[in-house]
Amino acid sequence: MSGSLHDVKNEIWMKTVLISVGLIFAGITAYAVLAEGVGSVKHHEWEEAHHDVEEAKAELDAISVTNASSEDKDAAYDKWEAAVDADVDAHLSYLTWSTAGKTIMVMFIVYAAFYGIAGFYNSIQPEEEHHHGDDHEEHHGSASPILMAGGLLLFMMGFPGFVTTCKAWLGLDYTADMSGFMLSAIGSVILIIGIGNWWNEDLKGHKEQIATSHPFKGQDIRKAGMWIFLISETMVFASFFSSYLRMRTEWCTQWAVNAGKCDVVDTYTASDYLRPGGATGTGDFWTLLPGGINTFALIISSYTIVLALKAAKNVNWEPSKNKLMARLFPTRKQTVRNYLLITLALGSLFIVLKLIEWSHLIAEGFTIDSQAGSIFYVATGAHGLHVFIGLLVMLFMVFKADTVGYDEENGQGIEYFGLYWHFVDLAWVAIFPAFYLY
Amino acid sequence: MGEDKYTGPIAGLFQKMADMIGKDVYYVNFLVLMFFTLFEIAAVFFETVPGTDIEITRDAVWGILIVVGIIKGYGIAAFFMHLKGDPFIYTRTALFPVLFAALMLWGIGLSNPDGIDALPSWCTPNYDYSYVTE
Repeated sequence: MSGSLHDVKNEIWMKTVLISVGLIFAGITAYAVLAEGVGSVKHHEWEEAHHDVEEAKAELDAISVTNASSEDKDAAYDKWEAAVDADVDAHLSYLTWSTAGKTIMVMFIVYAAFYGIAGFYNSIQPEEEHHHGDDHEEHHGSASPILMAGGLLLFMMGFPGFVTTCKAWLGLDYTADMSGFMLSAIGSVILIIGIGNWWNEDLKGHKEQIATSHPFKGQDIRKAGMWIFLISETMVFASFFSSYLRMRTEWCTQWAVNAGKCDVVDTYTASDYLRPGGATGTGDFWTLLPGGINTFALIISSYTIVLALKAAKNVNWEPSKNKLMARLFPTRKQTVRNYLLITLALGSLFIVLKLIEWSHLIAEGFTIDSQAGSIFYVATGAHGLHVFIGLLVMLFMVFKADTVGYDEENGQGIEYFGLYWHFVDLAWVAIFPAFYLY
Repeated sequence: MGEDKYTGPIAGLFQKMADMIGKDVYYVNFLVLMFFTLFEIAAVFFETVPGTDIEITRDAVWGILIVVGIIKGYGIAAFFMHLKGDPFIYTRTALFPVLFAALMLWGIGLSNPDGIDALPSWCTPNYDYSYVTE
């Protein structure tokens, strides 16, 4: 990224195009196996469970108008209740597999779009543009931000139509808005080309720009810029928190009742569905598990990115004496790449588990229609979006680590991205207890 | 990164632990983060302290969540984000939005249903509560 310059041939970018084909194949396979394969089995089980509920309900209705003993009536009621529980469990199990398959496929298609479009765009650039000699030491103005902003503008203009069209394609009661969809799609392509152009500039490397005035004098401009950006991000999440806390002071939740602040529960929060002892009675170890795993996934991913940075900066790097570790991380270059890949995998796991959890909450009636649902989905959704944007940046970092590589001279790229990734972890440190445990 | 020894009351403790086990501070920080995450989940999961009849009250859970959040926040910001060891201007930059967050929290406190009569006086200085009693 900085310090060292690399002569990057266009053909290197074709590698991303090949990877994108692999990603599409992997995404479709995941969808076929998880959503269509296991998902259809689970759907069948859910239908059977639903049928059992109807039978048990009919039995209960029939027995309640007869002179049957109260024991028989209680038994019929218990049977119906057990059938309802089994029905709910079967539904959630189906949603788990179905959502996992769909999420992985969509994520991989987006990954493939980034790799494929950006790689193809860069591979067809005139080769001579890569050789400016020493002139390239200085970082010239870049057209990438303009392209990205323009693409984002078109994408957002067409976004309502994009959503409506997707809903129509999913069989929901909506009419497809193809003009909006196309505007959004064109915006996406321009956005990705802008990002691809930025990738290209970064892969070749440039000299780090140093701040020349107070208060960051002598510091890398990119690092100072990243911290300023994180200030704005802190304010975004602080506004979510203040909204949540302000609203929560008005709600009579189970927690408030237990604390003696009010008498009758009038609001169910996400934690009432997720944590054991929550007001809805649905929470147990398994409902809290996705959030718990996600917390650990983010912490581990924060550590793996630190390890990637350490490996990149370590001029005396040596393979581990442990055989397994030496196989996983045989060279310095592969060590950096593999740690970044692990970070990418953990971040992807976070998104998959997050959407599984959302699907369960929505199925149980905790929707965005309520105040509690609105702030929960907006806050955790904004956080999830930050994770996903981080993953898209990490796609490039994995590619860079695999091609020109990171070393002690250009390792700052990992450090500055790491600041963002740790911030996302830091935000989760606050979101998890506030929305899941409290 | 990682080569310099950390000093100070808390960072120095992390450094001592790292020296004891022969690893770097990042590793110790990682373990601390994992441990406290387990701790906060356990605080919510169990109704009593495991192996005893001591009830984990709501206030205790509240306290645990806040204290653990502060510890984890410190670990991530100080070591993973390198605020310890980087020039102090970055810490000042990071703390800048905290001022606004504090103002927002104050605003929430003043405007919440209990804000009139349940907040401590230091939170509403020079306010005589007169319209509550009118």
